[in-house]
Amino acid sequence: MSAQTFFIGFFGLAAVWFGIVVFRTFSMVRSALALLFSQTALGAMFLSMQAEFLGVLQIMMMATEMSIMAIFMVMFMMDPGGLGEMDMTHQKRLSLSAGIVSFVAAVAVAVFVDWGPVAHTAPDAAQQTVDLGLELLGRSMLIFETAGVTILTAMIAATAVAIQPATWRSKHEH
Amino acid sequence: MSIDLLLALITGAALFGVGIYGALSQTNLVMIMMGVELMLAGAMVNLVAFWRYLHPDTPAGQMFVLIVMTVMAIEMAVGFGVAIARFRAKGSVEMEEAVELKG
Repeated sequence: MSAQTFFIGFFGLAAVWFGIVVFRTFSMVRSALALLFSQTALGAMFLSMQAEFLGVLQIMMMATEMSIMAIFMVMFMMDPGGLGEMDMTHQKRLSLSAGIVSFVAAVAVAVFVDWGPVAHTAPDAAQQTVDLGLELLGRSMLIFETAGVTILTAMIAATAVAIQPATWRSKHEH
Repeated sequence: MSIDLLLALITGAALFGVGIYGALSQTNLVMIMMGVELMLAGAMVNLVAFWRYLHPDTPAGQMFVLIVMTVMAIEMAVGFGVAIARFRAKGSVEMEEAVELKG
């Protein structure tokens, strides 16, 4: 077994384990941190698969995203530390069945489909970044620009939804 | 088939399964969003694995991963916007209490 295989398996296992921990702990802050570790393990897995740019991007994005999520958890929850051990689940059996069925189906597809010849080498990190940059600003420019505009729209929409409506404010101030 | 590709696909499948369990079983809006994030992460692992082991010379494969990351960021932004609005209106983000959304 090569070192690459070992690290892909190790970080994959870590990502799945921390993903399970997200829904096993009563503490919301721990849930957010477990998700952060899961996503960081995925970033490390990308690095093991020689996708250097995506690995670093994943770790950077998820570190900030999950930190913000932890702050929101503390803001919104009655018991963010989980000391009261509140059960916040429903339809557990259905959810578990759906999760297991989708996992088994996806693994069956992974195992039984003939994926064709496997490439043993990938372009080096510098070449990958150059290729991706040319792709983003060339053939896929419209898609890339659309993604940027969509994020901007989502930010404006989220802010518009989150601010207090003027009618609500005036009703509560007087 | 390469063992590395298989490992990556199994990881993606497991993350997707855990994500579906979380999205369906949790009653808190933020926890449901965490489930959706895990499902998207599962899809992302598959995309990286397909790019690396099947088409490493096609940078469009990496671009798909960037699109999924964009979707994750948008999901978070809109989800938290809705969560803040809900918290302001009802004082809670428990979806069990959102009975007015029932058809």
